[in-house]
Amino acid sequence: MTQTIANGARRIIALLMAISPFVFVAYPGAVAEINRGAQLAAMCASCHRLDGRDEGIPTIIGLDPKKLVETMEAFRSGKRVSQIMNVVARSLSTEEIAALAEYLAVQQRGSERP
Amino acid sequence: MNCWTRRQFGYLAGAACLTGLAPRVARSQAKSRVVVIGGGIGGATVARYLAAGAGTIEVTLVEPKLRYATCFFSSLYLAGMRSFESLTHGYETLAQRYGINVIHDAAATIDPVAKTVALKGGSKLPYDRLVLAPGIAFKFGAIEGYDQAATEIMPHAWIAGPQTELLRRQLESMEDGGLFLIVAPPNPFRCPPGPYERASLVAYYFKQFKPKSKILILDAKDSFFGQELFQDAWARHYPGMIEWLPRQFTGGIKAVDVKHLSVETEGETFKAAVVNFIPPQMAGELTQQAGLADQSGWCPIEPTSFESKLQPGIHIIGDAINSGEMPKSAFLANSQAKVCAFAIAAALTGSDRFAPYLFNTCFTFLAADDAVSDAIAFEPTEGTIKISEILISQVGEDAERRRQVVQAANGWYAAFTHDVFG
Repeated sequence: MTQTIANGARRIIALLMAISPFVFVAYPGAVAEINRGAQLAAMCASCHRLDGRDEGIPTIIGLDPKKLVETMEAFRSGKRVSQIMNVVARSLSTEEIAALAEYLAVQQRGSERP
Repeated sequence: MNCWTRRQFGYLAGAACLTGLAPRVARSQAKSRVVVIGGGIGGATVARYLAAGAGTIEVTLVEPKLRYATCFFSSLYLAGMRSFESLTHGYETLAQRYGINVIHDAAATIDPVAKTVALKGGSKLPYDRLVLAPGIAFKFGAIEGYDQAATEIMPHAWIAGPQTELLRRQLESMEDGGLFLIVAPPNPFRCPPGPYERASLVAYYFKQFKPKSKILILDAKDSFFGQELFQDAWARHYPGMIEWLPRQFTGGIKAVDVKHLSVETEGETFKAAVVNFIPPQMAGELTQQAGLADQSGWCPIEPTSFESKLQPGIHIIGDAINSGEMPKSAFLANSQAKVCAFAIAAALTGSDRFAPYLFNTCFTFLAADDAVSDAIAFEPTEGTIKISEILISQVGEDAERRRQVVQAANGWYAAFTHDVFG
């Protein structure tokens, strides 16, 4: 339950603020987690467009965070095979994947940041 | 300084690992100034990610060219599979949407004490932090007879632009049955699979339009990245067309004769119809004069911030750096640029900073429907950067899988250039 509230709070903060990868305001703990998600998402943006457009590489925004975590776990264990995503998943910690999933979940089509 | 590694690292406020500047609390009034020299992949990316930050950093991007042409995918243009226009990208979105001050001029000198950059056009730009993304320069004079003027006869086509178009024209006007000679450079150089991808794609063009032609690669090395994958593809797609001669066979490249279109090795002189001479390389413009490059010819950097080990306050990203186990690739220039942007933002504004994430993928075409890729994650360690995870395509993969890589590569080009130029 505590976790759910914390996640909810993070989402609300993420939705309310026109945040960037380097925000510094109140709620330092939660904001730091969002910023961590944003900085990691910047790395995803080298291949996945964060405005929701899909030109051959699937979009990763607006997904259920639980599902994204499960997918990354499957890439990490090798249950799902993708040369690139296997390496990405194995090089991220569980906490990093969670922060990324939370951040990507609340991104909306056309509202790409930066 | 002993910084963190990804696995040890949690979260660090500010930028204690950046030298020369203690973390500062965000300033609401005065904007910090960052000047970025070079509008290639690294420079455009760092400018974009800094400008998209909290709005407290004023970003100036200095780049002489109005449009940038990507080196990656340029061999598809040489093979007639892509237009040159499709490789070029402008700076309008960076200026208009992100508010970056784009100046089309070249940097002349850096004054690291006064913290200013003088431009060739005469103006002077003050900075709090400077980022150099100068790419590569060529060691003219390293091979007898190959100088700037020789590039007009034997193009390097290793910085995309007029050189690439010149090489395409030469290949188009070459008669069927001619010899296309590629001189491949010594390590380290921009895009390790590049010369061999170029051979593959020009062979793809020859196979359709000039099937009696041959390709000879004279290599300054005895082996190259992805060698088995390339040699397997050459045997399958272009049997008998491509020959690769390592240094141990030729004794090394000694001289070129532009008048006779010939390349001289220790034991033999090779005459060709078209010569693509890819010279030995070093860090790009300004780095040598500004004391940013060491004896290797490349720039040593702190692996978590890309700040120069020789000049505090100046960051260097992309092909110009001496980067441990990281190859010189556009993907990594983009990845390094983001790590650098977050480090600078943390130093100037006190924003959050996390474990740097560095990743590389190279998509390499072997034919129109056959491409391979590699995926490499890197970890900054004590003073350098090492590979932590790696997967590379294998010989013997089925054709469908290779077609999927082609599709992914095309999707990647669109997403990647959008990430860099907006």
